[in-house]
Amino acid sequence: MTAPVLRRAMGLRTAVSTSTGLAFAALEYLAAAGLVVYVAGDSAWIAVGVAGLLALLAWGFFGELNGMFPTAAAIRLYMKRSMDDRTALTITFTYMTTIVLVIAADAFIVGSAISHVLGGASWTAGLWIVVLLAVAVAANLRGIKVAGGVQDVATYTVLVATTVIASAAVLRSHAALRFPLSPLHGHHGTDLIEAVALGVFLYSAFEWVTTNAEEVRRPEHVHRGMLIAVGLLFAVCALVTISMSHVLTHHQLGSAYPQLYLGRAAFGRAGLWFMAGVTALTALNTFNGGFITASRFVYATAREGSLPRPLAALNDRAVPWVPVVGLGAASLVVALVVAASHSWQVLVATGAALEAMIYAVAATCVVRLRARMADEHRPFRIVAGRALGALGVVVFGLLAVVASVSVGDRFNPAPLAVIAVCGGLSAFYVLRVLPGVRAAEQARRPATRRRPPRPPGAEVPVASGPPTDTGAAQPAP
Amino acid sequence: MATTEEIAEAFAEWRQRCNANDRLKRMLRGWDRVVHLRTSDSSEQFTIEVRDQSIGPLGMGASGEPDMVVTATSEDFADLFWGDLNPSEKYMSGEIVLAGSQEDVMRLDAMSMVAFLDQ
Repeated sequence: MTAPVLRRAMGLRTAVSTSTGLAFAALEYLAAAGLVVYVAGDSAWIAVGVAGLLALLAWGFFGELNGMFPTAAAIRLYMKRSMDDRTALTITFTYMTTIVLVIAADAFIVGSAISHVLGGASWTAGLWIVVLLAVAVAANLRGIKVAGGVQDVATYTVLVATTVIASAAVLRSHAALRFPLSPLHGHHGTDLIEAVALGVFLYSAFEWVTTNAEEVRRPEHVHRGMLIAVGLLFAVCALVTISMSHVLTHHQLGSAYPQLYLGRAAFGRAGLWFMAGVTALTALNTFNGGFITASRFVYATAREGSLPRPLAALNDRAVPWVPVVGLGAASLVVALVVAASHSWQVLVATGAALEAMIYAVAATCVVRLRARMADEHRPFRIVAGRALGALGVVVFGLLAVVASVSVGDRFNPAPLAVIAVCGGLSAFYVLRVLPGVRAAEQARRPATRRRPPRPPGAEVPVASGPPTDTGAAQPAP
Repeated sequence: MATTEEIAEAFAEWRQRCNANDRLKRMLRGWDRVVHLRTSDSSEQFTIEVRDQSIGPLGMGASGEPDMVVTATSEDFADLFWGDLNPSEKYMSGEIVLAGSQEDVMRLDAMSMVAFLDQ
C-alpha cells in the first residue's frame, strides 16, 4: 500500500525549524555560558563541536528507531520491544521530567530577562514566571497551537538574531581571540569532559521532532531535519560560546541572563532590549512544543491504561486539560524554586544528565533491536549500528554520570539527587501503583462486547465490494 | 477478518451515536476533516468526512485529499466502531498506524472515547 499523501503535511523546512526550535530554548544561553568556564579562553567551540559529533551519533540512533516506528508513540514502542515494559515505563516517565525542567527553565529565564530589562526588583521575575506560565496553560487549554509557518519564522528569527548579536559583540570588542585552539590551557582534561557533557545539552530535544513523524510530507524529512538542525545548532552555539567567552565577565557569565549582556555588548541598550525580545521568542517554541508533546503523551498513556484515567479527561476543545494544568503547575513550582534559590545551574546539569541518559537508552535500543528484530525493514540504518550503539551506551552513560555530579565547575551531586528522586518516584509508580491502575481499567471495561456475534458456522469471507444496505455512501466521483 | 458489511454496520451505529452526542458536537466545532481508513488485511479503503460538527456517511474507497489516514485490520475497525476496542491501546502497541497532525489524532481519539464514555 502506498504512503498516504496528506492535505496538510509538514515539509522539510518545518521539520528543521521544529527540531532546531525545540533544542534552542532560552536555557541554551545559560548552558553556553556555563560551558565557557570549563575551557580556556575562546576555545569553548571545540567542546560544542565534540558534543555535536556525539549528537550526530544520537541522530543516527533516533533516525534508525524513528524509521522503524514512525509514530508519536515511538519511544513507547521501541523501548517496549527492547526491554521489560516496567523498565521502559520507568525510564520514559523519568525522561518526561526533562520537559518539565525545560519549560520551567524557560519560564524562569524569560521572566528574569523581562524583569531585568524593565528594571524591576528581583521578586518581579517570579511574577513574570506566573504570568508566562498562566498564558501558556490558558493558550493550550483553548487548543491554540502555533502554526508551522509561525514556528518557522520564530525559530529562524531567533537563530539569525543570535548570530548577528554574537558576531557583532565579537567584532565590536576590537580584541583578538584568546586561545581559540587550546581548550586545556590552564585546565584539566576532566574540565573538557564536563564541557562536552554540558555541550550535549545544547543539542538536547532536537530528537523531539520524531513525535511529528505522522505529519511529515515524506518520512525521510524527520531524520534529514534532525541532521540539518544539529548542523545549525553547532554553528550558532559555537559562535555564542566564542562571543560570550570573549566579551562577558565571569560575573555576567554566571548571571541568569548572559544573553542580555551579550546584546548590550553588541548594540548597547538597544541590543539589550533586542535580546530580551529574542529570549521571549524562544519560549514560543518551548511552550508550544513542550506542552503539546508532554500533555498528549500523558493523555495517550492514560488512555492506554498505564496512567490513572482522570489524566485522559478532555475539555470541549479536545485538549487533555489535566496534563496541561499539571504540567503548568509542576513547571511553576520548579521555576519559582529555581528563582528563589538561584539554582539554575543545577537545572542545566540535571537536563544535561537526563538527555545523555536518554541517548544511552536509545543506543541500547538500537543494539537490542538489531538482535531482536534483525529482519525488520529499516528505512534508515546507522552504519555499524551494533558497534556504534555499544560506544554510545558507554560514552553517553559516562557523560550522564559526569553531568549529574557537576554544577558550574564544582563537584555537586544535586543533579544526581534530583534524577534519583524522579527515577525513584517513577519506579515506585510503575512497580506499586500501576498494577492497581491497570486492574481498575480492566474492571471498568464492559464485560460483554457490543459487536453482535457472527452466526455459528458462518464463514469469515474475504471482504469485497461495497455494502448494499448499511447507510454507507457510494464512492465519490 | 471483518467484511465490508460488518465495518459499514459498525460505522453506521457509531456515526449515529456520535452525531447524537452534544458534547462531541461541541468538540468538533471548526474541525472539518477528511479521514481515510485503510484495512491492512483486505486492502480496502473508506472515507469519512466530518463537516459542520457532524460525521457524514461512510464512503467506499478513498475520495478527496485526506487530512488523516488510519490503517488497521478490518477486525480492529469493526471493534473500534462498536466501542469494543480502545484505539489508544492499539496505537501505543503499533497495531493502528496513523498519518496526520497530532491535533487531528487527538480529535479522532476523542471521538472514539466520548462516543463510548463507559469504555
